[in-house]
Amino acid sequence: MGDARRVGDSGEAELTRYVVRRILLAIPTLFGIVVLVFLLLHLAPGSPVSASGSPESGRRVSGAAREEMRRLYDLHLPLPERFGKWIGRVVRFDLGESFVDRRPVSERIREALPATLALNGLALLLTLAIAIPLGVVAGGRPEGPFDRISAVALFALYSMPVFWAALLLQSLLSVELGWLPLYGVSSDDAPGGIAGIGDRLAHLALPVTCLTYGSLAFLARIVRAGVVDARSQVYFTAALARGVSRRAALWRHAFRNALLPVITLLGLLLPGLLSGSVIVERIFAWPGLGRLYFDSILSRDYPVVLGLSLVGAVATLAATLAADVAYAFADPRVRESA
Amino acid sequence: MKPLSLAIVLGATVATAACRGREEPALNAGTRGPGPTLTAAPEPVLGFLDESREGVPIRGGVLRRRLVGEPSTLNAVLQTGLPEQQILQYLSRPLVDVDARLGLVPGLAERREVSDDGLEYRFFLAPNAVWEDGTPVTSADAIFTIGKAADPKTPSPVFKPLFADLERVEAIDAKSFRARFRRRDAMHAYAFTLPLLPEKRFAGKSFLKARENRAPLANGPYRLASWKTQESIELERNPRWPGTPGNFDRIHFRVVPENAVAYRALVEGRLDETWIDQSLKDRSATDARFAACCRIVEFYNLDYNYIALNNRSPFFSDSLVRRAMTMLRDRPAIVRGLYRGSARMISGPWAPDSPAYDASLTPLPFDPPEAARLLEQAGWRDTDGDGTRDRGGRELEFDLLVSAGSTAGRQINEIFAAELARAGVKARIRTLEWATFVERVDSGDYEAASLAWAASDANPDPFPYWHSSQFPPAGGNVAFYRNAAADELMEEARGELDPEKRRAIYHRLHRVFRNDPPVVFVVNASQKYAFRTRVRGIVTSPLGLYGFWPGPLSWWGTPDESVIPEKPS
Repeated sequence: MGDARRVGDSGEAELTRYVVRRILLAIPTLFGIVVLVFLLLHLAPGSPVSASGSPESGRRVSGAAREEMRRLYDLHLPLPERFGKWIGRVVRFDLGESFVDRRPVSERIREALPATLALNGLALLLTLAIAIPLGVVAGGRPEGPFDRISAVALFALYSMPVFWAALLLQSLLSVELGWLPLYGVSSDDAPGGIAGIGDRLAHLALPVTCLTYGSLAFLARIVRAGVVDARSQVYFTAALARGVSRRAALWRHAFRNALLPVITLLGLLLPGLLSGSVIVERIFAWPGLGRLYFDSILSRDYPVVLGLSLVGAVATLAATLAADVAYAFADPRVRESA
Repeated sequence: MKPLSLAIVLGATVATAACRGREEPALNAGTRGPGPTLTAAPEPVLGFLDESREGVPIRGGVLRRRLVGEPSTLNAVLQTGLPEQQILQYLSRPLVDVDARLGLVPGLAERREVSDDGLEYRFFLAPNAVWEDGTPVTSADAIFTIGKAADPKTPSPVFKPLFADLERVEAIDAKSFRARFRRRDAMHAYAFTLPLLPEKRFAGKSFLKARENRAPLANGPYRLASWKTQESIELERNPRWPGTPGNFDRIHFRVVPENAVAYRALVEGRLDETWIDQSLKDRSATDARFAACCRIVEFYNLDYNYIALNNRSPFFSDSLVRRAMTMLRDRPAIVRGLYRGSARMISGPWAPDSPAYDASLTPLPFDPPEAARLLEQAGWRDTDGDGTRDRGGRELEFDLLVSAGSTAGRQINEIFAAELARAGVKARIRTLEWATFVERVDSGDYEAASLAWAASDANPDPFPYWHSSQFPPAGGNVAFYRNAAADELMEEARGELDPEKRRAIYHRLHRVFRNDPPVVFVVNASQKYAFRTRVRGIVTSPLGLYGFWPGPLSWWGTPDESVIPEKPS
């Protein structure tokens, strides 16, 4: 017992050191990302002043007003000074205020976050729910009729432009058949709370479909490849030899082993939950982060773009860190070599 | 020509001259308060729709309107774009407003006086003008609002230039005040189309960050009921509005960024109106569902498009070359092909419905042989036989910038580039994202650029955009146009308060612009909106569908399309 505890203590300490090391490494990485985004944004052509009109209206701001706006946004300051001011606020957990409406960036992100999380989260769940069985069944009989047909179908879906599919679905299911709402998060007269859930789900149906169909292909094909690989392993043959049914062998043995790359992929996909989808959110008038990001880039709303980039970078680093820690936890060789 | 509805100069000068040195008669019934009035003015030449006298308006129901984007603020001083203008029109009234025929009408001020020298304006607020909380609109509110618009620390791109010459503004009493300018200019009357803000609500708060900027206190026919960020804005009747109430109980604005989606929403019945482009109009012509529920409202406003030519570049510094460029533009073909006939050629920096426009001046014709002769005269010949003209070892070859947001602009300019190529001029079309495009143009870092003039304010004063003292970065003369005769006429027009004399000056100026074109003026294209047929009472104006009083306030709707036996013609 005493020896076992010592071994356990040593393992935990090792893991803790590993995690601390990775967190410390993440700080300069995050700083590097932030500096890069700041520079790219500020060195790109255009400015909040020149972006304040619109191509639809052709409006532009007059010369004197331009100069006043430059001062208001601190654009007359040298770049290092602007960065210093911004980073000084960030370390105090203040992302600044939007150039567009002067509201705190954190408030604008907080407003748009739930819509994007709901949309992307549901799309991810739906993708997994469809892609995994497809991949397992296709991998169960490689080159069989189902494998071939599903491959063609998935690649056809993958090749279909999302804007086109979205407009087509809107025309058919909303305008022609009237089955689903055309856009938005909820109907104007929808009840709140639980009573409104059905209405909200109906509004989610089309955008979730559009986000899902394109990502089915690569996930299903990864699962299929893993299953095909597992089928050639001895343990799969042994399971069949033990009298385990083919279906059970596929799901219990082949699929479990094929799941590892899927989990790795999920680690990479999770930060995407925060990034939103520009095209889908615009077409379905979805008030999410993707639209906020896109509009902010167009209007050169530097504080919002930087805030969203920072949130995205933190989420990516956190997901990467979590994946690394999970690996280290599962495989001692990782923490030893780190 | 500032962004927003500041009305038209001749209307301005008429009103200004009429009231100089004497009290101006009330333009609206004082007892009714600041309600809508249509003045009897000549109708614009084409595309004017007035359903204000058709049918008996039905009160009630919801009007579902489209917003292309979300307003950044509902503070009238800070407004920058169309979404804000669309909503503020229901909530916040100005001291004076502009009607559909471009005349001045009272807003919150029931009357005004202008001093003999044209420098001082006195406004007398309507006694029944109140905020939605029941407190009266006072001169303190007007002084506060004007002070903020003129404050260098306030970003007020729409109104600040109009108050640039403001010397002082002060109260006479609780319901009247005077504003004095350093310089006489008929345009100053239009500075007072600024909607008022309640001073007391901003006391002790940051003007830029105040909660009131998203929750304004209304003094107009409607008040804000709800604002769901990036989704919708709902207005309801303001029970304290003393004027004629709006016809709809509620106005529901929905943010729908995509035109094609808005069109579908209209057909589905989720929207009552939307702006459409030519392609959607074409589509609607063969769409049975659209025909069953909706109609197109098409009219001309004061917008136009043009190709800016940088007069400082070695190519376009010569007036002969600029004339040649205009004559190489096949504008009749553009009107026929791209706009299906719903556009008008122009020959100066105004649309034909602007009183400044001299309709007797015909635009320069599409005449490639004459253009070639002008280019030869300017010294541009193809001396090396490579198909492109050259002079002094330099080819006549330039970048033509196009904004990525303008599909029509891209199509028009591809045709133009082909026409130029046939004449030995090489134009490379470069599509730039909007902010980048604007930065290049505003800094003068371009040779040619395709631009649209959004003249929803209808102010025809060309001084800020074509006078030689207005070169960038401070001014708006991005073409770097310099013509002594034009400069003189622009200065003369600014100081002239007599409307007829001012019109005559503009017509002389128009002739200068036509003969020495600073840029290639292209067309004034029609504006197209699609409406559910249940919406009636629509009035269009050279200022558009809104941007004038009462504008959409005069619309009304039946609860059901089937109630209307047939569509209005």
